Amino acid sequence: MIRIKFWPLVIKQVVRHRVRTLLTVAGVGIAMYLFVAIQAMQKGVAEATQASAADTTLVVYREDRFCPFTSRLPEYYLPKIKAIDGVESAVPIRVVVNNCRASLDVVTFRGVPRDQFADTIGRDVEVQDGSLDAWKKRSDAALLGETLAARRGLKTGDQFDAAGITAYVAGILASDHAQDQNVAYVHLDFLQQQTDKKLGTVTQFNVKVDDPSKLDAVSAEIDALFASAEQPTTTRSEKAFVAQVAGDMIELIGFTRYLGWGCLVAVLALVGNAIVLSVQDRIKEHAILQTLGYPSSLIGRLIVTEAVVLGTVGGLVGAGAALLTIRLTRMSFSVDGLSIPIDAGPLLLATGLLLSVALGVFAGLVPAIQAARRPIVTCFRAI
Amino acid sequence: MRLLPFEYAVRNLGRSPLRLGISVLGSLLVVVLATSAYAFVRGMDRSLARSGSPNNVILLGAGSEESIERSEISSSVASHALASIPGIQTWSGQANVSPEIHAALGVSLEKSSEPIGQAVFRGVTSAAYSVHPQVRIIEGRTPSTGADELIVGQLASTRLGIASDLIAVGQTLWIDGRPFTIVGQFAAPNTVMNAELWIPLTSIQTLTRREGVSCVVLTLDEAEFADVDLFVKSRVDLELAAISETEYYEQLSAFYQPVKMMVWITAILIGAGGLLGGLNTMYAAFASRVREVGTLQSLGYPRRAIVINFLQESLLAAAAGAVIGSLICLLLLDGISIRFSMGAFGLMLDAPTIGFGIAAGLVLGFVGSIPPALRCLRLPIAEALKAN
Repeated sequence: MIRIKFWPLVIKQVVRHRVRTLLTVAGVGIAMYLFVAIQAMQKGVAEATQASAADTTLVVYREDRFCPFTSRLPEYYLPKIKAIDGVESAVPIRVVVNNCRASLDVVTFRGVPRDQFADTIGRDVEVQDGSLDAWKKRSDAALLGETLAARRGLKTGDQFDAAGITAYVAGILASDHAQDQNVAYVHLDFLQQQTDKKLGTVTQFNVKVDDPSKLDAVSAEIDALFASAEQPTTTRSEKAFVAQVAGDMIELIGFTRYLGWGCLVAVLALVGNAIVLSVQDRIKEHAILQTLGYPSSLIGRLIVTEAVVLGTVGGLVGAGAALLTIRLTRMSFSVDGLSIPIDAGPLLLATGLLLSVALGVFAGLVPAIQAARRPIVTCFRAI
Repeated sequence: MRLLPFEYAVRNLGRSPLRLGISVLGSLLVVVLATSAYAFVRGMDRSLARSGSPNNVILLGAGSEESIERSEISSSVASHALASIPGIQTWSGQANVSPEIHAALGVSLEKSSEPIGQAVFRGVTSAAYSVHPQVRIIEGRTPSTGADELIVGQLASTRLGIASDLIAVGQTLWIDGRPFTIVGQFAAPNTVMNAELWIPLTSIQTLTRREGVSCVVLTLDEAEFADVDLFVKSRVDLELAAISETEYYEQLSAFYQPVKMMVWITAILIGAGGLLGGLNTMYAAFASRVREVGTLQSLGYPRRAIVINFLQESLLAAAAGAVIGSLICLLLLDGISIRFSMGAFGLMLDAPTIGFGIAAGLVLGFVGSIPPALRCLRLPIAEALKAN
């Protein structure tokens, strides 16, 4: 946009009014911080709810129930589900949460039969610390999702209490699946005894189908099989299930999108305001530059570059700080035992930066055009 | 001290309509956000604080103290408690001992349709109405035991995200494929119960295929919490825990703390952004008046008088924004209920909330003008008079 030899001029302008620059950069930083945080929440919702062609997991839940406290299915449904054509595997899961309500620090226990873990859920997760053998050996052992472990500061060998259950951390697991990152996997019988004082009742069945195209057919067949049973079922894809159960929270997070747009407008206003003020202060200077032979288009470009510098520095500070906060706090929204992670990666940082640059250009355009069009004589008279 | 006339500040405001506009807009934004955040947090806190009665004690399953919905205890606990704890309040000869089931169930408007959402149901007996005196029937009657009937709270439609006429008295709701007639509406203002659906205990036991209950709520008269605690500790076989109702809802309020913190942090960050923008504008506004300040000083006005005048100017703009912002909040937010996590609550837009919003706007005006005003006064009079 401008040649390298003019960059010192731009930097000098930015540094000359330190207070103004600091205030603008801080303001842009705050706005971009909020924007990136909001985008991270939106990304979490998309990851947890948007189905992809490769999805093969179905969740069998009690019909018309959305809360793990009220979905109670007999464990003996398992062989009938497994016998359905297209079902690759099925695992009964008992879900216990410290509270069904939505918040940011909810602990979700998932009880899974110890012999079935490795062949079902274990295929999608990687035990990073500790071992699966250690988990199998101990009845109160738990494998913690890395988000939960990081948030609660737990490591292998620790004991922790939540939802009235005391468990031993046998390992920490990593997974790309949103629902595996914020849970504690324990033995099914252990969880049943701790909560129901009896065996035989589970919250849901997670069913893997052998072909993604069979999802609808298999779910319809499962529901038809138990339509007149003691506990009828509703079977949905895992992501559709999350979308329905966490609907309130998703709606609320969706609403913050407007706040995100508001943040971008704030960036525009802050940079625009700073540049307008800066240009007003320098009318005489622009006249001198024009007298020295600087073309008006170059003056305009110098102003736009100044706006871009302010936007970029502010964007870098804000987006970087947001990324750091999200990575350090490892927060995730939880509702009814389901997680919506707040997750930000380098792509979001790059998006934030690009938007800051674009907004800088946009914010600087009007004052730049005005300054470029102002004749030298008018500039001198304006003093 | 010789002060500058107030009119001077008022007239100066009109010198740059653009700057005045930016200042007013910044203050307005901060006031709207601060008021909304405070109304949200206070509304949520109020609904939880008023849900508990100080004389009520909840008996629930040991280990389920965080959430009644998770608890399951024997149906016989109510009679055991009544027989073992002396000094429980009575009303018209009936002991205030209320066995209850709290459960979130899917609700449909038609027989075979998908549930419109999940509502919080409370399965109750007649004792519940005396144990929870906040509940008043405002239309219709209480549901009859054995009949498929229920009553709805004033905010139940908000909770379900549907128009209130769809769950008016006389309408039918389908739960688990069974039709339930709405026979009444109740009000329990500013409590979690206001968004609930109340149904006879036996009906919900049938629906959820449960033999036990979630909890038993007792109202103490002469008895004290220690008496209930002693009962719980002496009946280890029942695996109970006792918690005062007020404490239970305080815990629930603490559970929501991260959400409330998030709301506050967002409002504070946006407020800080507004403040920084305002500071920038004020710096520019005051910096262009250095010569004017020098002139005022040479006319004998002390620095403090000039700072006060700048402050008046800034506070006037902020106050204008605060008033407009408060009016916008009153017009747009008053009466709004928020559907949130197994319940609904109304935004609390009362005098303290409006006062808080206006105070936030005025603080913005104050803080935003002091540093630029002081900076402007730094120059010696001779230099200030020479300034461009």
